[in-house]
Amino acid sequence: MLASLLSATLQGLDGRPIRVEVDVAPGLPGFTIVGLADTALQEARERVRGAIRNSGYEYPPRRITVNLAPADMRKSGASLDLAMALGILVGSEQVRANGRWAVLGELSLGGELRPIPGLLPMVAALARRRVRRVVVPVEGADESRLADGIDVVPAATLAEAALLVRESSRGRARSRPPRVEMAAEVGDDLEASRSGVACESGGPDLAEVRGQIEARRALELALAGGHCLIMIGPPGSGKTLLARTVPGLLPPLDDEEARVATIIASVAGSTPIRGLVRSRPFRSPHHTISYAAMVGGGPHMSPGEVTLANDGVLFLDELPEFDRATLEALRQPLEDGRVSIARVGRAAVFPSRFQLIAAMNPCPCGHAGEGDGRCRCQAAVVDRYTNRISGPLRDRIDLWAHMPRVRPEEYVGAAAPESSATVLRRIVDSRRRQIERGGCCNSRLTGRALRAACALSSVEQGHAIRLAEMEGWSARGIERLLRVARTAADLDGSARVEAAHLDEAARFRSPSGRRLGFAAVI
Amino acid sequence: MLGVQSLGPLAPRRVAEGIVREASGVPLEPAPVSGHSEMSSERDAWVTLLGVPGLGPVTFASLLAAFGSARAVLDEAAETAGPSRLREALAHAAADRANDRVEAAASRSDPTSDAWHGRRADLGADLARRICESVSVGARTVELVRSLGLTVVTLDDTAYPDRLRRVDMPPPLLFVRGSIDSLAASHSIAVVGTRRPSDKGRLVAGWIGSGLARAGAVVVSGLAVGIDGAAHAAVVGEGLATVAILGGGHARLFPRAHERLADAIVAAGGAVIAELAPETPASRGTFPRRNRLVSGLSDAVVVVEAGRRSGALITAGWALEQGRECFLVPGPIDSPTSAGCNAFLRTFPGQARVVCGVPELIEDLGLAAEDATDGAGDPTEPGRSKGHAGAHRAPSATAAGAGRAAAMASLGPVERLLAECLVQGPATADDLAARTSLPGAAILSALTLLELRGFVSGSYGRYIPAGLLARWPGSHQREPV
Repeated sequence: MLASLLSATLQGLDGRPIRVEVDVAPGLPGFTIVGLADTALQEARERVRGAIRNSGYEYPPRRITVNLAPADMRKSGASLDLAMALGILVGSEQVRANGRWAVLGELSLGGELRPIPGLLPMVAALARRRVRRVVVPVEGADESRLADGIDVVPAATLAEAALLVRESSRGRARSRPPRVEMAAEVGDDLEASRSGVACESGGPDLAEVRGQIEARRALELALAGGHCLIMIGPPGSGKTLLARTVPGLLPPLDDEEARVATIIASVAGSTPIRGLVRSRPFRSPHHTISYAAMVGGGPHMSPGEVTLANDGVLFLDELPEFDRATLEALRQPLEDGRVSIARVGRAAVFPSRFQLIAAMNPCPCGHAGEGDGRCRCQAAVVDRYTNRISGPLRDRIDLWAHMPRVRPEEYVGAAAPESSATVLRRIVDSRRRQIERGGCCNSRLTGRALRAACALSSVEQGHAIRLAEMEGWSARGIERLLRVARTAADLDGSARVEAAHLDEAARFRSPSGRRLGFAAVI
Repeated sequence: MLGVQSLGPLAPRRVAEGIVREASGVPLEPAPVSGHSEMSSERDAWVTLLGVPGLGPVTFASLLAAFGSARAVLDEAAETAGPSRLREALAHAAADRANDRVEAAASRSDPTSDAWHGRRADLGADLARRICESVSVGARTVELVRSLGLTVVTLDDTAYPDRLRRVDMPPPLLFVRGSIDSLAASHSIAVVGTRRPSDKGRLVAGWIGSGLARAGAVVVSGLAVGIDGAAHAAVVGEGLATVAILGGGHARLFPRAHERLADAIVAAGGAVIAELAPETPASRGTFPRRNRLVSGLSDAVVVVEAGRRSGALITAGWALEQGRECFLVPGPIDSPTSAGCNAFLRTFPGQARVVCGVPELIEDLGLAAEDATDGAGDPTEPGRSKGHAGAHRAPSATAAGAGRAAAMASLGPVERLLAECLVQGPATADDLAARTSLPGAAILSALTLLELRGFVSGSYGRYIPAGLLARWPGSHQREPV
């Protein structure tokens, strides 16, 4: 008998409804899956067989053919397990399906339903297909309910799902308890293994960072205006510590951002989702990260770090140590706010409006510019080191903050630096002003919108010109100055950009020429 | 290279002078290279010939002696059998002179003359070939010199600095960018030191640089990072003339980090000069040669900081050999950046002198008191730098601190507070915040204003006093606020 169920897989950040047709026919026992299924899907045969047997049903000793439609689309992942298993049960007439159901979920050999990454976009895609009801794993129920216009019915096991589809939506009470006898002591650390890079939420407080008023201010400006920031300093000057305070300084996401962030989190599958994701992501991949892990791609067209950091912060420690190609790949996402990945037969567009925060040493030994003769790096070596960051990438960094070594006095001194809460309040206020004025944060202002936002008087215009002449800035350099000055004014609560704001912004200008040290003299 | 002057009749200066004068009739005036007149054609030939890699002053002098003029050498080289003819002619001329020398050597018993003789007669096949090849690329070199806006000064020009003319083996050509007059200043003092100075050393280099410049001397140095750069920058900050001598050629300015400093030096009425052809890269071997030029162009050499094996000590050694005065800033006995200075003072007790303060140094050098320099008609008073046309441009007709006091008075309260801190030496924003208790944003804005006025330069998050702030603060320094 032929059974046909609706399920879905993931392509990029979108769900794709898939029709699963199961034919249970007489003949030599066998199980064939057709329709461009990848390895994980082919392995579904074993999971489905085990799940059926261990759920108290009979695995039919017949010729089973599963067809996944549309046939020309490459399918991957384990989201179709449940559909295949139910299809076999319906096809072998052990279960009678009633109504128009879609089913999603991965099966364990014991018949347990496991959550799958990307549940939210899949459910949303099914809702768009006007599917009325969908069975999802219990653990993914909260996440699935974030999609509108579809009735989400959680099930813990295959048996429970079979009961659900047999009865109409308001069926009788669940008769049979799920028959799952798992070895409880075997830890299931699926969660931990799925997350590539751990997202830190509870970083240190800004009050723990001693000294470094210049870099603190740069970080505040960067987070308030969404500007890209690079911190340059010797080892131990607190670059990484400062970066780790970032999660505690990020303003919450607005509704639209939260929706996208939740979909991305769902696809990344790193943490169970209980509701809309409201906190901005902070990603800090190690510098050995591969190209595909950074921009996305791979066999499953997974989102890369640039997408996982969408609307949040991508922190790259030891920037020159990153692979050159990987760094260059950041240019398009930084510019366009999205990254399109094309592979043979498929393409995906991922959002990637992230804010880059980077840290690096001034030279290979890390002690250049400390004035104590400790740095023995030759000029050419320093050049080679710093030139690993290409000009086009430098051009996209609005704020350059130097972090000289902190003197012992700063550590033992009594002065209490500002706490994260104080600074966060200013950042949130400043963001709000930016959104009210221009509808976007200052880092996205260019050209006319930027000039209008700054509203420089003739005095300040003259001042800006003097600053630009001092450095021999290009148009892009002046835009960077104005953008940062606008943010400084917003932090002050000032409607107009004043000379002091321009001066402060100029403090964080990018070093002219090829070297990082603002040229050693003059 | 060549001990030209000790070799009497073969000194290239004399040879060259005689021959070029014969060829052109009049002494060459310093002028940008141009290809039309006969004399600039000879000048072009010098540029072409001295641009040949491996051809030093020795061979150049011999070639001039053998052929009469550089143009004649190139004409000969352009022939088909050029290389062999060059070599023959040179060998022939050398043989003639060798006869003279045997007699001369008998009377003088100069042990080196045979060695010189041997080198002199020999024009390697490779070098001869390169000379012939240079005929075709010569125009390009000349074009490059022109496009870089360089002035070529030959040993025969009246503008050739007299100090340099008097040293052993003066370079036949100088490529000058900027003011030629600054080479002929009545007082010219070299300030040199290590490329990796301490903060204090950098500060002292600035004090000495600006102090000497304001006392009317042109400060000569090597444009290297470190002490050299700090000295140049301090003089440029005053808007006065300084001379930078490159280790390589102009088209390959080294270090690249000082490209802007070089521009500022030229804009302030100083000069950047090179002995080597524009496309010669600076290399390990070219720096000692540059150091010789630094001391050769100066009346005295001041070494601010030098490690035990610093190149600045080579300059100091040349200074003693060339009969220049030599001053060294002493340092703590355990300071690695002053070890070379201290050792030099110990090694040359009678000759090397100690710097114990900027006014004392100026006095020891016999320079006029500071106020005299502001008198009208001072030949060393150069054009002012455009980029530093701030308030400190007002002539400081009174005592040392007056200009600074006036400049300080023109600053806002926050900037003045910071300026007073920075006079003590380089500081980070944290240091300034700790000393002034000002809010961070105010400090950062004020630092930009100070930078805009040329009082501060930032480097890796440290703020280094420049311009007026880099002046000798006098014996009664202010206590930290």
